[in-house]
Amino acid sequence: MRIYATFVYLFLYIPIGVIALFSFNAGRHASQFQGFSVQWYGKALANPFVMDALQTSLVVAFVSALCASVFGTMAAVALQGIRGPVRAAFDLLIYVAVMVPGIVIGIATLIGLVTIFGQLNPILAALWPGAAPPQLAMGYGSLIAAHTLFTMALVIIIIRARLAGMDRALTEASSDLYATPMGTFRQVTLPLIFPAILAGFLLSFTFSFDDFIIAFFVAGSETTLPIYVFSSIRRGVTPEINAIGTMVLAASLILLVTAQVLLRTGRRRG
Amino acid sequence: MTQRGRNLLLLAPAGAWFLVMLVIPLAVVIIFSFGERGPAGGYVPAFTLEQYANLPARWAAFKNTLMLAPAGTLASLLIAYPLAYYLAVRADPRWKTVLLVLVIVPFWTSILIRSYAWIFLLGGRGIPALLDLIGIDNVRLINTPFAVLIGIVYGYLPLMVFPIFVNLDRLDKRLLEASADLGASPWRTFLQVTLPMSLPGIATGCLLVFILLMGEFLIPAILGGGKVFFVGNALVDLFLQSRNWAFGSAVAATLVLLMLVSVTAYMRLIRRLGAQREDVALM
Amino acid sequence: MTKDKDYISKRAFMEELDRYRRGSVTRRHFLGVTGLGTATAVLAASVPALRPRRSWAQGNIGDRVVLATWPNYHDPANFEAFTAATGAAVDMNVFGSNEEMLAKLQAGGSGWDVFVPTNYTITTYVGESLIEPLDLARIPNYDAAAFDPRFAGPGTVDGTVYAVPKNWGTTGFAVNTANLGGLPKPTTWKEFWDITRDAFSGRTMVHDYQLTTIGNALKYFGYSFNSVDTAELAEAEKLLLDAKPHLFAINSDYQPSMRSGDAWMTICWTGDGKQMNRDMPEIEYVLGKEGGELWSDFYAIPKGAPHLDAAYALIDFLLDPAVNAKESLFHGYPTPDKRVDALMPAEVLNDPILYPAAELLDALEFGAAVTLTDPNRAELMARFKSA
Repeated sequence: MRIYATFVYLFLYIPIGVIALFSFNAGRHASQFQGFSVQWYGKALANPFVMDALQTSLVVAFVSALCASVFGTMAAVALQGIRGPVRAAFDLLIYVAVMVPGIVIGIATLIGLVTIFGQLNPILAALWPGAAPPQLAMGYGSLIAAHTLFTMALVIIIIRARLAGMDRALTEASSDLYATPMGTFRQVTLPLIFPAILAGFLLSFTFSFDDFIIAFFVAGSETTLPIYVFSSIRRGVTPEINAIGTMVLAASLILLVTAQVLLRTGRRRG
Repeated sequence: MTQRGRNLLLLAPAGAWFLVMLVIPLAVVIIFSFGERGPAGGYVPAFTLEQYANLPARWAAFKNTLMLAPAGTLASLLIAYPLAYYLAVRADPRWKTVLLVLVIVPFWTSILIRSYAWIFLLGGRGIPALLDLIGIDNVRLINTPFAVLIGIVYGYLPLMVFPIFVNLDRLDKRLLEASADLGASPWRTFLQVTLPMSLPGIATGCLLVFILLMGEFLIPAILGGGKVFFVGNALVDLFLQSRNWAFGSAVAATLVLLMLVSVTAYMRLIRRLGAQREDVALM
Repeated sequence: MTKDKDYISKRAFMEELDRYRRGSVTRRHFLGVTGLGTATAVLAASVPALRPRRSWAQGNIGDRVVLATWPNYHDPANFEAFTAATGAAVDMNVFGSNEEMLAKLQAGGSGWDVFVPTNYTITTYVGESLIEPLDLARIPNYDAAAFDPRFAGPGTVDGTVYAVPKNWGTTGFAVNTANLGGLPKPTTWKEFWDITRDAFSGRTMVHDYQLTTIGNALKYFGYSFNSVDTAELAEAEKLLLDAKPHLFAINSDYQPSMRSGDAWMTICWTGDGKQMNRDMPEIEYVLGKEGGELWSDFYAIPKGAPHLDAAYALIDFLLDPAVNAKESLFHGYPTPDKRVDALMPAEVLNDPILYPAAELLDALEFGAAVTLTDPNRAELMARFKSA
């Protein structure tokens, strides 16, 4: 059993090891080791396109995770008290949103928005008083909107599962004690579902940050980090890409360890 | 404001989002799928069933997807289950969290970079060169369905390990002891107690991996060398090379239909198998 | 250049070039040893038109410029020099086919400032309003008289210049002769496809590009590279489907696999053939006797380029004959610019990979605009890939 586990861990880590190893390659090629160097880390950090792509990815991931958490929580809480066709419609929409492959979401958003923009842009141009009317185009907006769609469905599912396990008597007791609905939400519901909201936010962030296929279609002229990595792989891999991957991995590990330490000290204090 | 009014107001943003980003785009896909390709590519309005009639031209891509998605799911399950079992039941509790985190950590490097590492490992200077040393020569791995399968298992293993682990970890160990006390062999205990109890985790993991595999594009693109084609690759090709939005829409609509049918059938099956409803409902 | 008596041998030149590229010698040493420096300096001083008018180095052009181009098509050192001179970093996106570039532009918002279309595609870009007419006053290094009209012509549509020439070349195939094992070296497209399905099974690559892959399958039967005739295309499709199980990969970036030895033969462009042959002489570049493609590539600016000033600066910089010569020496594609030829060593000008014999050249065809938009060719390629 233990030997088996060791093999699986080797399987998981050998490719990561290869990536990390070649990030220290002094040569240009990603497959022949020509001496130790950290120059590619410097190059990656000094490359404005890498930094731009990283920034775009972080902004898109943060905003879409925020939208997904807020609107998803609102919807999940509201769906608790709703029956009938509205409820059925939402159940269906959530089901479809999770089921439709990312590539179809990307394509559908692309041709849907390009068509809508094609209709709206001339109208906008006709109504615009100035000389240079704004043009609707793919970019930050379409990226955030498409990522939010998918992650919002995930957030709703996670929070509903948490709400389902919650004791209804608590909210009933709260309203029996004349708390306003908002008060009940703030004092009772929110603290109980907060871990689920946090989990939903983190999951959404991770999903958006790592997504390639939706962004590939809807990013317009923006470049996210996965898109940058994809085009780098196509123009011939230099160890710079390995350095970027290793840095992202190291940063996530540091974040995780920090979070773990914070949680522990928090728990101890509580 | 009434309770219902307030609830509807709370639902409004999510509803608007679903409408603009899901319902309208999917409707556009369906409308386009009955149209025609423009002279320089793109789409011109029409009403024709020609695109659907042309679907057999992508039969190989559908076949690859419908074979490799379940095969990849199964392979991930077979490799993930013993590991999840080890982590939940056998591993030293002090190391459990660390070992579990170690399964997820590779997930944080982009799947692109991780797949790229496999090009080197499966290419002529990687594993085949090692096999050559021990006398097995002329092995070709890269650009084969096998390479794609390895990439799939590698990419999605954590998604399979996690739900099964959560399920097995919650399992009351006293049940296993009771089974042993009653004279059941370890194998019988596993088959009659552990495995049935972990079905919800298996169901969730398989569903997650299967859904993602049905729309897979990157792994076949990187490790299949343009020779192992999924529906996802056919779609990228239709929109980003041959620019046939009408036919592409028909392929996309068919893929969504296939997924809805297969996933709904799968969920029915799981429910009939008597898995705990709440766990499956998570998806 | 040829008047240098003790002219450096081809081999020594290439060794020096390699050392320069590896960074073990300085640019000055390289130019000095190879005689390029003297030649450049002498020529530049004596011919006023050759002195680069450094418009690209002046004014604030922003800190970035995005280029959409082809694999293995630029010397990274030139981009570093551009960034050092102007402060604008160059981001390079690489594409494997003209269809892919067109699709990206058609979907809107590509974000590119400069792209590199091939001769036969430019009329389509103009028809679809995807390309910006060029303001030649902003590209002082472009001297129409210096360019071979055969290669520069397609950049002008209805009297308007939309694109200026980058390089020209041929599409043949590269074969690793070490793997032939006694077989004679293939010299025709017929042999290319036959060996693929026989001795080289599992070792051949073709482009992920309909023009060249379908075109060279058409050549097997002696049809035109540009055919859109349905009966001829059906024959080509049959050949392609028959060969598919024997292919190593369908990919326009074949150098890594050829160099690692995973692939033994590939459809190949001039410069890639030169680059591989330079490092591994056993990889030879062959022009199929039946013909194939002759092409020229261009620099152009897409409509709505976000950094227009930087786009003009980059094009002008790359057309500076001294820079262009460095590019050409690096990637092995000839330029249609006489001023650049004057800077090239004789060995390069006599290189049969770059400048094929007349009878081989005569058999070649320029790509035809109709192939880019023909729905049958597009669908044939897609069927071939998904088969």
